[in-house]
Order: sequence, then C-alpha cells, then structure tokens
Amino acid sequence: MSEELRIGVYVCHCGTNIAGVVNVKDVVEYAKTLPNVVVAKEYVFMCSAPGQQIIKEDIKNFKLNRVVVAACSPSLHEPTFRTATAEGGLNPYLFEMANIREHCSWVHPDEKEVATTKAKLLVKMAVAKASLLEPLSEIKFKVNNTALIIGGGVSGLAAARDLAARGIKTYLIDRSPTLGGRAARLGKLTYTEMKGIDVFKGLIRDVAGNRLIDVYTNTELVSVDGSVGNFKVKLVKNPRYVDAKCNLCGECAKVCPVEVPDEFEFGMSKRKAIYLPFKDAYPRIYVIDMKSCTRCLECVKVCPVGAINLNEKPSELTINVGGIIVAAGYDPYEPKTGEYGYKLSNKVITLFQLERLLDSEGPTKGELIVNGVKPKNIVFVMCVGSLSTTPDAYPYCSRMCCSSTIKNALVLREKYPDTNIYIAYKDVRTYGRGDEQLYMKAGENFVRFAKFKDAPKINIDQKGNLSVTLFEETLQEEITIPTDLVVLVVGMTPPRDIDKVRTTIKIGCGPEGFLREAHLKLRPVETATDGVYLAGAVTGPKNIIESIASGSAAASRTLALLSKEEVAVEPLIAVVNEDICSGCAICVAMCPYGAISLKIIDKNIRVAKVDSALCKGCGTCAAACPSGAMQQYGFKDAQIKAQVIAAMGEV
Amino acid sequence: MSYLPKPVLVIGGGIAGIQAALDLADQGIQVYLVEKTPSIGGKMMQLDKTFPTLDCSACILTPKMVAVARHPNIKLLTYSEVIEVTGSAGNFNVKILKKPRYVDEEKCIGCGICFNKCPSKVPDEFNLGMSQRRAIYVPFPQAVPLKATIDKEHCIYFTKQRCRVCEKVCPTKAINYEQKPETIELNVASIVVATGYQLIDPTLAAQYGYGKYQNVYISLEFERLLSSTGPTGGEIVRRSDNKHPKNIAFIQCVCSRDVKINPNCSAFCCMASVKHSILAKEHLPNVDCTIFYMDLRAFGKGYQEFYNRAMREFGVKFMRGKPAKIEEEPETKNLIITYEDTFTGLKKTMTFDMVVLAVGVKPIYPEALKLPLSEDGYVQLKNQYLDPVLTMIDGVYTVGVAAGAKDIPDSVVQSGNAAIKASILAGGAQK
Amino acid sequence: MKEFRPRIVVFACNWCTYAALDLAGTSRMKYPTNFLVVKEMCSGRVDPQYVLEAFRRGADGVIVAGCHPGDCHYIEGNYKTLRRMTLLKKLLEEFGIEKERFRLEWISASEADRFVEVANEMYEKIKNLGPLKIEIEGGR
Ligand SMILES: Cc1cc2nc3c(=O)[nH]c(=O)nc-3n(C[C@H](O)[C@H](O)[C@H](O)COP(=O)(O)OP(=O)(O)OC[C@H]3O[C@@H](n4cnc5c(N)ncnc54)[C@H](O)[C@@H]3O)c2cc1C
Ligand SMILES: Cc1cc2nc3c(=O)[nH]c(=O)nc-3n(C[C@H](O)[C@H](O)[C@H](O)COP(=O)(O)OP(=O)(O)OC[C@H]3O[C@@H](n4cnc5c(N)ncnc54)[C@H](O)[C@@H]3O)c2cc1C
Ligand code: SF4
Ligand code: SF4
Ligand code: SF4
Ligand code: SF4
Ligand code: FES
Repeated sequence: MSEELRIGVYVCHCGTNIAGVVNVKDVVEYAKTLPNVVVAKEYVFMCSAPGQQIIKEDIKNFKLNRVVVAACSPSLHEPTFRTATAEGGLNPYLFEMANIREHCSWVHPDEKEVATTKAKLLVKMAVAKASLLEPLSEIKFKVNNTALIIGGGVSGLAAARDLAARGIKTYLIDRSPTLGGRAARLGKLTYTEMKGIDVFKGLIRDVAGNRLIDVYTNTELVSVDGSVGNFKVKLVKNPRYVDAKCNLCGECAKVCPVEVPDEFEFGMSKRKAIYLPFKDAYPRIYVIDMKSCTRCLECVKVCPVGAINLNEKPSELTINVGGIIVAAGYDPYEPKTGEYGYKLSNKVITLFQLERLLDSEGPTKGELIVNGVKPKNIVFVMCVGSLSTTPDAYPYCSRMCCSSTIKNALVLREKYPDTNIYIAYKDVRTYGRGDEQLYMKAGENFVRFAKFKDAPKINIDQKGNLSVTLFEETLQEEITIPTDLVVLVVGMTPPRDIDKVRTTIKIGCGPEGFLREAHLKLRPVETATDGVYLAGAVTGPKNIIESIASGSAAASRTLALLSKEEVAVEPLIAVVNEDICSGCAICVAMCPYGAISLKIIDKNIRVAKVDSALCKGCGTCAAACPSGAMQQYGFKDAQIKAQVIAAMGEV
Repeated sequence: MSYLPKPVLVIGGGIAGIQAALDLADQGIQVYLVEKTPSIGGKMMQLDKTFPTLDCSACILTPKMVAVARHPNIKLLTYSEVIEVTGSAGNFNVKILKKPRYVDEEKCIGCGICFNKCPSKVPDEFNLGMSQRRAIYVPFPQAVPLKATIDKEHCIYFTKQRCRVCEKVCPTKAINYEQKPETIELNVASIVVATGYQLIDPTLAAQYGYGKYQNVYISLEFERLLSSTGPTGGEIVRRSDNKHPKNIAFIQCVCSRDVKINPNCSAFCCMASVKHSILAKEHLPNVDCTIFYMDLRAFGKGYQEFYNRAMREFGVKFMRGKPAKIEEEPETKNLIITYEDTFTGLKKTMTFDMVVLAVGVKPIYPEALKLPLSEDGYVQLKNQYLDPVLTMIDGVYTVGVAAGAKDIPDSVVQSGNAAIKASILAGGAQK
Repeated sequence: MKEFRPRIVVFACNWCTYAALDLAGTSRMKYPTNFLVVKEMCSGRVDPQYVLEAFRRGADGVIVAGCHPGDCHYIEGNYKTLRRMTLLKKLLEEFGIEKERFRLEWISASEADRFVEVANEMYEKIKNLGPLKIEIEGGR
C-alpha cells in the first residue's frame, strides 16, 4: 500500500464501566505513541451520537484512513462504529475494535494497574491489525422472500398468519400429526371465556386453506444449507398412511382392534391405532400410529373412500426459503416415578391432566373424577421441576404456572364449592395483567395457601390415602394436609430433541437447553445467525399470550428481512492469490460447503477458485493451504500474525 | 410485491416505541415517531444497568436511538404531541402539535455552549431533581436529536424580558425566541401507542415518609445514584450528609399490590430491587442490603438465577413482609423500619442508613385517542389472546408499559407484534 | 526481580469461545489478566504456524479454543482444528515446549465458567514452570 497510514484511536469510558477500572487517559497517551497513530481521544460514551460524531469529524479533519475504537465487545458495537466510519467517508472495513470492557475492565475490577496495561496491549493489537486492513465491500444476494416455520403451536401459527397477511409465502411444519401444540389441550383460560382450543381455532381459521401457507405435518428437518436470504432446507415427511381423501367418517377407528393410551389426554383415556389426534385437529385427516398398528388391514377394508395406504413411505422434499422461524415450543416437565408420589398413586396427577379433566371435551366430560370418585380435598404442589436447587430438575421459574394454578383453583371453587383447596407454594408470581386480582380473588374465595421452602413430601399410606407434609414458612412449623388429590404443577422444559434442530440450523442454547436469543433484552426473537428467528416457548417459559406475541414479533423481524430485495453479507470470505497457488487442491477437500473448485487459467496451470456465494468465511481452507495462497479477507495471515506479535513485549 | 404502503404513527419514543418504529421502517413502511419530550429514550435511558445481565442501559439503547435518527423511513417528531385523531383503521387523520424549542433544529449543532452560559438553573428532571440543568438544555448527553430546547417557564427572557445570553453565545445563530408552535397533519393507516408510564406518587404511601425523610429514595432515584452520568457521578451517598450508607433497605410493592392505592403488580420492581442490591454491593462492597418483599417475582429468563446470585454470591438478605412504617432518627437521619416478623408474628424494628422504595407504576395515554380502559386502569384489549396488542379501536395497537407493567424484553416483543399488525394495515392486507 | 506474569495468547472462535469470554465479562467473573484474545471466525482458521509464531515471539502459553465437536458454526471446522492441533502438540513436545503451555479447549458460548476454570489452571501451571526457556527457529 502506497498510501501513508493515518490511524485514529478512540477509547471509551463507557460511563464507569471501563473508566472505573482502566486508566483511560493513560491508554490514550499510550496509543498516541503507537506507529501511524495521528490522533487518540477519549469519550464517555463512544457509541452515542456525539461519540460517533467525533470519529466522523476526525476522519475529515485528520484525514484518517484507519479507525480503532477501544470499548465494549465487537458483538455489541462493531456495526455501530462501522457505520460511523462509513458515514465519515471511509470504507467501513478499515475499522478495528479493541474489547477492553468484557475482556478487561469487567473481569479485572480489582487490578486497576494491570488492567490498564492489558487495555494498552489490546489497543496495540488492534492498531497492528488495523494497519493491515484493506477496504472491502459487502456481498449482496437476492433474497428469496419465503419463510419456513418449524413448529405449529400457537406461536408458529401466529407467525404464519401474520407473514401470510403481508403476502409472504410460508411453509409451516410440525413433527406431530396435527398443528396446535400444547395450548390446544388447555381448558378455560384466564380473563376470557375462551379455552385453549378456541385460541387454536381462532388461529387456524386464518391458516387453514390460506394459499400462502403450506402446512406439512409429520414433518421434520433434515438439513439446512445456505445462509440468510437463501436457505436450502431438506425436510422429511413421515407417512400418515391416510391421505386427503379422508372424509372423517371414523369407520376405520371403529373397526381398529388396537387400543392405546391417548397422548392428547395424557393417557387418561384410550384411542385406536388409527385416529384423529383430537376433535378439531388440523389437517382434518386421520392418521395411523405405526408403532402400535398390527397391519390387520381392517381399516383399509372399511374406508369408503380408499384413503388408507399402509405402504406409504417417508418422502423427502427440498424447499428454498429466505428466513427460518424456530417455534418448536416446550415439553411439560415429566416428574420421575416416585417424585412427589407421581405414578405411585393415581391420585397424584399433573396440572396438565387436571386441565384435561376440567375440559368439557376431556376424558371425563369436564367432571373432576379420579379413580371413580370426586375428590373433596385437593392440594396443588407448585414449582414441580422448577426453581430447583438440585441438579436433577431445573433452576428457572416456569412463569405461567402460578396464574395457571390459581385459575384452576378458581374453576374448581366455582364448580365444586365445597371442596377444600390448598395451594402449596414457594412464591406466588402473578405478575401479568389481571393475575394479581385473581390471586386476591382466590384468597377471598377460601383457597388456602401454604408457603414452603424445601419441597413438600407426599405420603401414601397402606390404604392408599394421601397427605402432603411441608414445613410452613409463615407458621414456622411442619404441617400435614390430608388430601384426596395432589396436583403437581409441572413446569416447562426444552422440547425433546431440540438439540437436533439447533445443531442443524447452527444456533445456540443456554445452560438448560432453551434456545438463545441474539440479545436477551433488545433482540429477543432473533438469533446470532442472520435469517434465523425464534418464537414462543422454545426460548424459555411463556404463557399463550406471550407466545403469540413473540410469534408475531418473529414474523415482524422476518418480514423486515424478506421485504428487502437484497441482503448484504460480510465480505470476510476466502480469496486465492493465483500467483502462488500451486493447484494442490488441499483446500478443495477442506471446505465444508464445497465452495472451492479448481479452474484452469493457462494450459496446464490449475488454481483454486472460491465461489463467493457458497463460502461462509470459516477460514479452514486458509489454515490448510501449504503455500499461503489461500487467505481470508479480514483474517489474513499477516493480519493475525501482526496481532500476535503486538500481544508481546512491554507497554 | 406490489403495494403502496401507507405511513404508520408511533406515539412515544421509549424503548417500546423505538423498537416498533425500527421494525416498521425495516419493513419498508414510512413511520412518524412522535415523542412529547425533547429526546427519545424514555425511562430506559434513566436506568444505569439492566437485569439480569447487567448490560449498561445507555450502551444498548443509544445505538437504537441513533438508528432511529438515521433511518430513511422514520420521521422523528420530538417535543411534539398528538392533539387530534379522527377516522378509522386504515385511514386515520392525525393532528400533531410541534411545540417551539425556541431553537432552530436545523441550525443547532448541540455544542452545549448555551447551556454552559445560561444563568437560570432548574431542577433536572432526568436526575429526578437531584441535580440542576439550565433553562436552555438537552435532557442528557446522548439525546436524540441532540438539539437544545428552551424551557420557557424558567427562561429569564421569557419571564422577565431580559438576558438573551444564549442568543449571544450560540455560534450558529440557532436561537429563535419568536418560534411558533406548528401543527402537522398526517394521514396514517394505523397507530401504535407506546406512551409508557409514570411512577405513582410515593407520598401516597405516607407511612414510609418519602419527601419527609431525606434518606428515603424511590427506585428510579437510586438508579440515577448508581449511574456514572447521575447527580453524584455514580457514588451512592445520602442526601442528608453525602456519606456512603453502611446498610440499605429496599421495600417492595410500595403503591403496588395495595388495594387502597393500586392493586396491580408492577412486574419489574422485584427484579429492579434485586439488581439495585447487587449493584450497591458492587459499588460499596461492605454495604449490607436487605430486601423486604411479599413474593419475589423473578419470573423471566435468567431472573431466578439472578436472584439466586444476589442471595448466594452477594449475600443480599431477603425478609418476607411489608414494613408497617418508617421513622427517622432526627440526629443521624437514619431510618427505623418497623416490620412484622412473619415467622414470629412479633413487631420488630431495624435501623438503616438509606431506604429505597420500589414504587409502583401507572400508564400514560395520549388524551387525543380516548382509549377505553379496563378496571385495572390499563387500556382495554379486544381479544388479548388472539391479538395481544389490539386496543378496542381497530387499527390502534398498544405496547410496552402502556399496555401493562412489564420489563424491557417483553416490551420489545410486543413492539414487534404491534409492528407487524400495523404493517399489515399499512401494506394493505393481502390474501 | 519483577514478578513473573506469564503472557498467554488465546485464539478464540467468534461463535463460541469469544462469546463465552464476553459472557465472563457480562457475568463479572474474574480471571488473571494475562490472556490476550485473537479472534477468528472459526477455530479451523488457526494455522499451527500462528501458535509457533506466538511462542517464538515470547508467549508463555497459547490456548486454541472453539465450539464443542458437533457445534461448530461451520459444521466441522473444529474437527480439522483437532487434527491439526494434535499434530502440533507432538511438534511442540519435540521443541521441548512443556505440554502445560498449550491447550486445545472446547468452550461453548454459555461456558464462561469453563473458560475461567481453564484460565486459572493454566495460569497457575505456567507460573510454576516459569518463562519459556526454549528458542524456536529464528529466536525471540
Ligand atoms: C401445566 C401447564 C399449564 C399451562 N397453562 C397455561 C394457561 O393456563 N394459560 C396459558 O396462557 N398458558 C399455559 N401454559 C403454557 C402454554 O402451553 C404455552 O404458552 C404454549 O403452548 C406455547 O406455545 P408454543 O407455540 O411456543 O409451543 P407448543 O405449544 O409446544 O408448540 C410447539 C409445536 O412445535 C412442534 N415441534 C416441536 N419440535 C419440533 C421439531 N423438531 N420439528 C417440527 N415440529 C416440532 C410440536 O409438535 C408442537 O406442535 C401451560 C403450560 C403447562 C406446562
Ligand atoms: C427503577 C426502575 C428500574 C428498572 N430496571 C429495569 C431493568 O433493569 N430491566 C428491565 O428489563 N426493565 C427495567 N425497568 C422497566 C423499564 O423501565 C420498562 O420496561 C421500559 O422502560 C418500558 O419502556 P416503554 O417504552 O414502554 O415506556 P417509557 O420508557 O416510559 O417510554 C414512553 C415514552 O413515551 C413518551 N410519551 C408519553 N406520553 C406521550 C404522548 N402523549 N405523546 C408522545 N410521547 C409520549 C414519554 O415521554 C416516553 O419517552 C425498570 C423500571 C424502573 C422504574
Ligand atoms: S391396520 Fe392398523 S390402523 Fe388399521 S385397523 Fe388395523 S391396527 Fe388399526
Ligand atoms: S473459508 Fe474456505 S473452507 Fe471456509 S467456507 Fe469459505 S471457501 Fe470453504
Ligand atoms: S442552541 Fe446554539 S449554543 Fe446551544 S447547543 Fe445549539 S448550537 Fe450550541
Ligand atoms: S414486581 Fe415485585 S415489588 Fe413490584 S409490585 Fe410486583 S411483587 Fe411487588
Ligand atoms: S465456529 Fe467455533 S469452532 Fe468453528
């Protein structure tokens, strides 16, 4: 490069976040001594408008051709400063950041002096790299403006509904034979006359038959290639064994000899091997559960429209989409056998089972009948699987269970005024609109509350009688409540096999397995991977309202992407120096995306060639290239080595 | 796609309104963002750090504010208010009053010379009156837009017809004492109401002596004390003697969950106090923190874990129960809290150097809209399950704390929800 | 004499380990000050030459870290890292560089605590070993 280097260095105080530990003045003075640095400054908040203004003005006033900001993590503000650099009239890739907050002041709060030294080293490294940066321009791709939604619970349905309403073609897949997810099984909801199923029906009204929405049930993700704006997705559609000719006459189920527990009713009633998952299931087609089917062919014989084909095979299909929303929901916590007496007595049920029992369309037509009798005394035990201090359950709060419990207690109180209802709780977290009022109403309606700290014990005596023992925190004494029914208020856990989806799409998760947002607060429905969004309970516990809101919000972010003609991606991809490439083809085998091929440039001379649409910029090829011909923009050998060298020595 | 989108109006420039505007603008919709104060940012701008990750609030918010100012699809109208709305979904006629700043926005470069020279000092609302600003001011250094505003009520020229110092010093001749209010008329497809909240008057909970005892603070004041840009430069010191407190009590549910004042739960104050106690410990490692609470509502993602850390790592004490009253020791200005020990049922007292009241909130609505409200004082929704942000007026959506007390992540989610709904109306629903 | 403060270079991939280091910051964890991070998009970008360069220039230790096997953002970059670094380890041994001075670690974005653990351990060990006594090619 012939041009003389002129570097500007800006050190941020970040209020006291940095300046409270690192001696910013010192760092600025030090920066001024580094080669090619023509100006170094400090400011309280570099990311603020005036902070960015300083950069823009200095680029002009000092004719800067490189900018270095020492502040927080580039994952937070690299885009901000890149933009400011560009607005100052410089190529945005002539900017480099030194992370002196997350990697320095925040982790070394007690060692002010050495932290300052480290900050200097980090600045020195960034300046060294900046000196070798080259102008780059973003690579633009056409956006395929269709979307894929994985999971057809309320959140996925809301997302599909809203995208279609703005004209976006959407594929909605669910691995189960019906849409609806978990909410369809809930009974009456708070502050409305609607039941869970009514919410489902309300959403499905806009989804069923919508020409912009293709629904695939029994369908799972196989692979995802490509990147933001252009994903190539392979799906496998597992056989349903019944096709769209099915007219719901139900003759098949009448003759089917196989009876198995009905999972929709949590095993509290039975269904056949050929069945409709629930009355309002969508699609409106029967399905065969091949695991229990005996292939007796009785159903085939009676089906009046010939809809059944027991030899149907799984089929693969490939779709191209611009954006993906993961709305795979959650699984209710499944207590282990014996945990709170679960499965040791059929008088210990989960809250979800209670919801089914109280539903007029449930297994008992809405009557609370357990073991053939109506319980008179009921104890709810909250936080089962949640707020756990031991590693065998989950440490987080499941958020919706407090108000769901109180709602059920009030439904019971109204329906069976003479039952005794106890709620054993840790904390009552009725935070949502109207929930506190329900909590008060429960108190007024003689629902009794008992506060515990350590998990209550469920006792089952020889005759099968139940009681709950706990140390009551307000009374400061151990109490035992005899009861006819124990309802375990189970929390929400990440859905089974979510890791498969997660690793296929390449997105992150938190310690408990819920998917990770790009930013917990300000980007709650986005992921770190561009073009992939999150909706509903798959990021953590949520109630229906929150799940639907986040489904719509994910649709909103997806629409922001898909309403553009083009997306720009970072140009940090591989590049070949044809002059020194020996054509050994080692890199060709390295690339996980098949982005490299050999091309003939002159008679027998072959050199590597990178397809910029396929290259994702991992740099593996560059690390493998024996001749140094393969490099990666933004991470060239010289740039990295310069950083390493700068990391050494005294400051 | 071929449609001619209509513009959308977003009222309120807190985090909820900012996010709704950005989402809409990114979808190619023209947005008018109306904010009644001189800068966008809302309450989030006044926060020091945010739970549960303790990101610094300004650090994560200012880029969004800058993005609003920079977005070609957003027209930002600050220091403005909606005064009239007629029409219906898809076709609202809106009148907006742009109040005079007495500073020409085109000319002002935000250099700050005027407010350094202005002789009239006024309590600074950004720091809840704990410091002073001038009659010509920008509310905080990262304000968007970074334009000065003259507060007419305190300007010596407007009250006494003399001074005009700012006019003399302004290098760009931006001051204009003759500026007149402007009315702007718009036709928009839909409206997003993100007008946020105000804290309930803490003196209603008279037993805690706010306003009477110097060392009783409200939570937002404490937030400013923690902040390096706050009135004390990030020092936690008492109003009475400028000394660091040795122990601090936080009282939850003040003016919340209280049938006489406000029965609603304010949803974020538990976590805000947990945050405050952790930050207090970070500022003053030897300070003792005690939180008096009824239920500790750590319900969001990572919140219980944050609460656990406060207990285990930082040794914050949690006492169950709502204190009956606070009295002041006249000499020391220390505060004696009387509470009922829920374990023994006996009345006990404890003395603290500082008390912070986690005071509840109530929503603010633009009067011009006449939104029907529910019994709980928040806006009534048409169908909170199927359309969680739709008000009783078709085409008018509500988000953030205006739609019910909530934290930042939940506000941002709602903003996305309202954005796509508003966008559907603006873009012309397609089937 | 001045106290020996080992200097350690960390090659961290953008998606997992760099994010874990950020998380250590946002969670206000503490670890010794001597770790200097060089970011790559993927651990697969780390050319063994860089590690040698670091030692040659005076590093007392080097960490190469990326996503767990199976979690690499670029499908399998870290498998290549594994292979390369296994060979490199042998080479380093031949040079006489103690094995405590070089670590290959899988640290996911949520495992800030794991990084802190590794950092503390490595710091202690290298402190006991003292400065690197070997000269590799060309010297320091
Ligand atoms: C005991 C209990 C009581 C509750 N009570 C209430 C209440 O009273 N009020 C309330 O508002 N909320 C309540 N909830 C919460 C409510 O169930 C959830 O908010 C809601 O169901 C979340 O919707 P979702 O769309 O995110 O997930 P889900 O309903 O779980 O839907 C996810 C969908 O994704 C599909 N899926 C999963 N993995 C894949 C994959 N790999 N590929 C394809 N598809 C996949 C599933 O088959 C499912 O259809 C309760 C929850 C529990 C556990
Ligand atoms: C002490 C305290 C600490 C907190 N800490 C946290 C935390 O750590 N983490 C967290 O997640 N949440 C926290 N919160 C909650 C957080 O403040 C809110 O969730 C968030 O600020 C809500 O944003 P909003 O946009 O809805 O409202 P606001 O921030 O109130 O914004 C509303 C905006 O609308 C404007 N406006 C009002 N009326 C009109 C009108 N008629 N015309 C035009 N404009 C108008 C206002 O001027 C304001 O700018 C805390 C709250 C408090 C009180
Ligand atoms: S073939 Fe299978 S589904 Fe059909 S009747 Fe027999 S068992 Fe039932
Ligand atoms: S950097 Fe090299 S190996 Fe990686 S995707 Fe691009 S061409 Fe393939
Ligand atoms: S009004 Fe004039 S003096 Fe005041 S900030 Fe604006 S440009 Fe500066
Ligand atoms: S969030 Fe906590 S402090 Fe605030 S009103 Fe609700 S229970 Fe009370
Ligand atoms: S991206 Fe982390 S190792 Fe490849």
